Amino acid sequence: MVVALPYDPPSMAPPLQIRNFSIIAHIDHGKSTLADRLLQATNAVSAREAREQHLDSMDIERERGITIKASAVTVLHHHQPGQTTDELESDFEPPAPEQRSGDAAMRGPASLRAPVAASLPLYMLNFIDTPGHVDFNYEVSRALKACEGAILVVDATQGVQAQTVVNAYLAINENLTIIPVINKIDLPSARSEEVAMEIEQVLGIDAADCLYVSAKTGRGIPELLAAVCEKFPPPRPPLVRQTRALIFDAQYDDYRGVIVYVRVFDGSLSVGDKIRMMGTGRTFNITDIIKYTPKPTRVESGTIGPGETASIVAAIRSLKDVRVGDTVTLDPDPATEPLPGYQPPRQMVFCDFYPATTAEQKGNDFEQLRDSVEKLSLNDSSFTFQPVHSDALGFGFRCGFLGLLHMDIIQERLEREGGVEIVQTAPTVSYEVQIRGDKPPAPKDTTGAGRSVEVVRIENGNAVLEVHNPADLPHPGSILEIREPICRVDIMLPKDKIGDIMKLCLDRRATYKSQTFVSDARDLVSFEIPLAEIIYDFYDKLKGITSGYGTMDYEVIGYRPDNLVKMDILINGDPVEALSIIVHRDKAEHRGRALLRRLREQIPRHQFEIPLQAALGAKVIARETIKAFRKDVTAKCYGGDVSRKRKLLEKQKEGKKRMKSVGSVNIPQEAFMAVLDQGE
Amino acid sequence: MLRQRPAASARAIFLALDRARAAARSLYVHVPFCFHKCHYCDFYSIVDRQDRQEPFVARLLRELAAIAPWAGALDTVFVGGGTPSLLRVDLWQRLLTGLHERFRFGPVAEFTVECNPETVTPELMGVLAAGGVNRVSIGAQSFEARHLRTLERRHDPASVARAVALARGAGITRQSVDLIFGIPGQTVGEWEADLGAALALGTNHLSCYDLTYEPATALTARRDRGEVTPADEDVEIEMFAVTLGATRAAGLARYEVSNYARPGDECRHNLAYWRQEQWLAAGPSASGHLAGHRWKNTPRLDDYLSIDDGGFAPIADHEPPEPVRAIRERIMTGLRLTEGLDARATLASVRAECGHTRAAALASRAEWHRASGHLIEDAGRWVLTESGFLLADGIASDLMGAVD
Repeated sequence: MVVALPYDPPSMAPPLQIRNFSIIAHIDHGKSTLADRLLQATNAVSAREAREQHLDSMDIERERGITIKASAVTVLHHHQPGQTTDELESDFEPPAPEQRSGDAAMRGPASLRAPVAASLPLYMLNFIDTPGHVDFNYEVSRALKACEGAILVVDATQGVQAQTVVNAYLAINENLTIIPVINKIDLPSARSEEVAMEIEQVLGIDAADCLYVSAKTGRGIPELLAAVCEKFPPPRPPLVRQTRALIFDAQYDDYRGVIVYVRVFDGSLSVGDKIRMMGTGRTFNITDIIKYTPKPTRVESGTIGPGETASIVAAIRSLKDVRVGDTVTLDPDPATEPLPGYQPPRQMVFCDFYPATTAEQKGNDFEQLRDSVEKLSLNDSSFTFQPVHSDALGFGFRCGFLGLLHMDIIQERLEREGGVEIVQTAPTVSYEVQIRGDKPPAPKDTTGAGRSVEVVRIENGNAVLEVHNPADLPHPGSILEIREPICRVDIMLPKDKIGDIMKLCLDRRATYKSQTFVSDARDLVSFEIPLAEIIYDFYDKLKGITSGYGTMDYEVIGYRPDNLVKMDILINGDPVEALSIIVHRDKAEHRGRALLRRLREQIPRHQFEIPLQAALGAKVIARETIKAFRKDVTAKCYGGDVSRKRKLLEKQKEGKKRMKSVGSVNIPQEAFMAVLDQGE
Repeated sequence: MLRQRPAASARAIFLALDRARAAARSLYVHVPFCFHKCHYCDFYSIVDRQDRQEPFVARLLRELAAIAPWAGALDTVFVGGGTPSLLRVDLWQRLLTGLHERFRFGPVAEFTVECNPETVTPELMGVLAAGGVNRVSIGAQSFEARHLRTLERRHDPASVARAVALARGAGITRQSVDLIFGIPGQTVGEWEADLGAALALGTNHLSCYDLTYEPATALTARRDRGEVTPADEDVEIEMFAVTLGATRAAGLARYEVSNYARPGDECRHNLAYWRQEQWLAAGPSASGHLAGHRWKNTPRLDDYLSIDDGGFAPIADHEPPEPVRAIRERIMTGLRLTEGLDARATLASVRAECGHTRAAALASRAEWHRASGHLIEDAGRWVLTESGFLLADGIASDLMGAVD
């Protein structure tokens, strides 16, 4: 629904003050609830409309309790600088109880009501929601580029966590003003002052600056709104005459095409303008400018000016036409320099998706998977895909993700929204492989349409390949070195668990970097760990060791060579490419044994014995055997048993069709994930 | 009092059939009474209450009258249960008389009645023999009191020999004994002893069933609670081998997964099932197969007694003819027989119903099992080998899967 906004921002009589800010937090520290409460406090949202987690728009976000896409919301708020707390309290409408919700809704958002305090200065608050998971740090940072301030939310019971630190540094790096907020102070286990000290200790932000809030009860919300108006700086004045607006997000809408979220820094954007994307050179005509209040609301004047945030609709058909971080300018009068942009997101985790159905139907299912993948890529430009073919699994896609959670989300959305069942192979990271000579290796076979090997650069006359599928490793003889992505991993944990975590990390080829005092009970420990070592079960192990209290975040800091080899898995003598992994040579035997043990559990017994082998090149380093089952026969099958028995056997057969067959061995989907479980 | 309910009844199925083409040569009659529910049994049966035997026989005779027009001269009749031998002798007399009034019997008709060894009396055997019964199937299960207890069978092991002798004495020349192996706690030696005891009776037919844990039976519940430990797979396989050896030595040949007979004494009624011939069915929970239709009468005795649609019984299940399904069923039951499955006829019907690709797929699966040593092609028939019989379900499932 698009309703007209009853104000005319650029031409509006001063003093219209603009504040652009984000809320950043560790997951589950109450960011979304706080966003709700802020919306409600400005009365932009009626109580009836105040669903939980107002800013999240996809079902999947609601279920997982996390936010995938940043959204920007604009509300208007009257604020008298220098008001006392008492005055603020009297202004604040507490969360409406049931009986009030009706008339609150009737009165509608503040912007549509007769201004109660029209004499007070009017603030336009643009707040930009950010995701709260390690995989989406790049989304956080690009959202922060559009802001002048950030509310840093920390749970009063849990204190500073790994993501708190990482997100806070992202904001500090962007030179944002930070308002630290201790949330959930209503909980009996809240230790608000201690947490304020933790913030000072770890982040160097004065504990005295902390605001104490309960997003649940509304306590402290008026003070927070006042601080947003008073402490966050206004947008910088325009630096150039030409229009420059930063794209900080883009979403695909079935009806309107791509909706581009922009923050205007210089000049203005109006409906009818012919815009140009400075990075891609593509041009479009703006057909609509929309703000979310949080209802989609058309900007009636059709124009937005410096400092404003809005989304524009310009008949853009694909997200591929929009590069987040790009600068929008006007085609007739373009700016000369783009705004400082962002790094494009880099896919760090890769796996294959194959349709999970019968050999006979493979063609159709692959088409269905392709349609779903392409459709989803309109919605999420941060995952990549290219067709692959595997002897074991047929045709599918090699997909790249920002991280493990991102991978899970994509798989779930493909299955849910695309209605395809997927066999997923174990994830691997992206490797850099330096080979002898400057020529790319000859393709090993002719079936590999769209192989994932490309020469990324030449170093001293030797080509460096990017390989994100173990099957694509060139011949070992031509490899000079294999480099893997290394992460800086920050772990916040109870002090008494440091020994166990050290051991876990060192088992994962970690290099210890530093230890920071957080509080009497907790420390922040930093390591450098190969990404490949943490994409499997590291996070689960960390949670297990620390009884759920430990938190981590990571950032890829570069590539480093190590003694890495490709380990092949042979089932009944046939190598199964989809199970190949790249491992450290010293750990190959251990991993191989653990993997074969898992496969032995996952693959059902057949009518023949199935040898399982792990091999480095021609050398077998581990083996297991799945014994043949020798008896599978029903004792009785008389006249009345025929129908039931037939259905039973048909069901068994259906079950087998859900599996993939390698030679004559049926391998269930779970087996392809067996690589995930490192075993101990 | 009879009630007329608009429930689905077998009547509609029968009336749609051409009587001339659907002339069944076999009849199954289900007598649902039992002493008690055996722990391993998932057959429909109810604990005997004498007061319902009479209405049951009256109702059964009405059903037999209703379905009789669809029968040709009967080659086989099989009365199973439950425990048919639990039916009062006077009711048996009425039932047998009624059967002969309603059906024509072919010249060499096989007429089998299932008997619990303890219920076999000279009087009953006399009545059965006089009524044309020429074969009894005696549920011995085991000769070890301990194993009988596990199975919740109460009879005295010695009653089996007595029952066989009584049947013989009455002139019932063909006797079969049912045994169960793979009973929790049973050793291979104990099974050999059971087999020996059964073979010593000199019967011309033996059924040896590997104990099956049927869903929703008391025994399965006990297994799931860990109260009984199922036999080890290796032990069961050895028991199969022992069975083959002992029966062969006694002059009985295996002709089906669980059935052994002196040549010529195979149960023709059961062969009719496995060869997918037509048969009529009467009594609660009985299943019939006629002109491609499969149906099952209501399993509830109350409904069977109270709902009477011109004699036809209410049905619980009905599958109309479907050629592809029939091919699959033929594969499933045909592979259970040592005579095997006519490969050429099967492939031809698959080709006709599903096309060349499916027929080729079926042939290639059969070839794969042949290469694995589980199946041979003998005179144009697919026949499972000894190891193949142990895997009959998986092989059948695989071959059936090629047909769709």
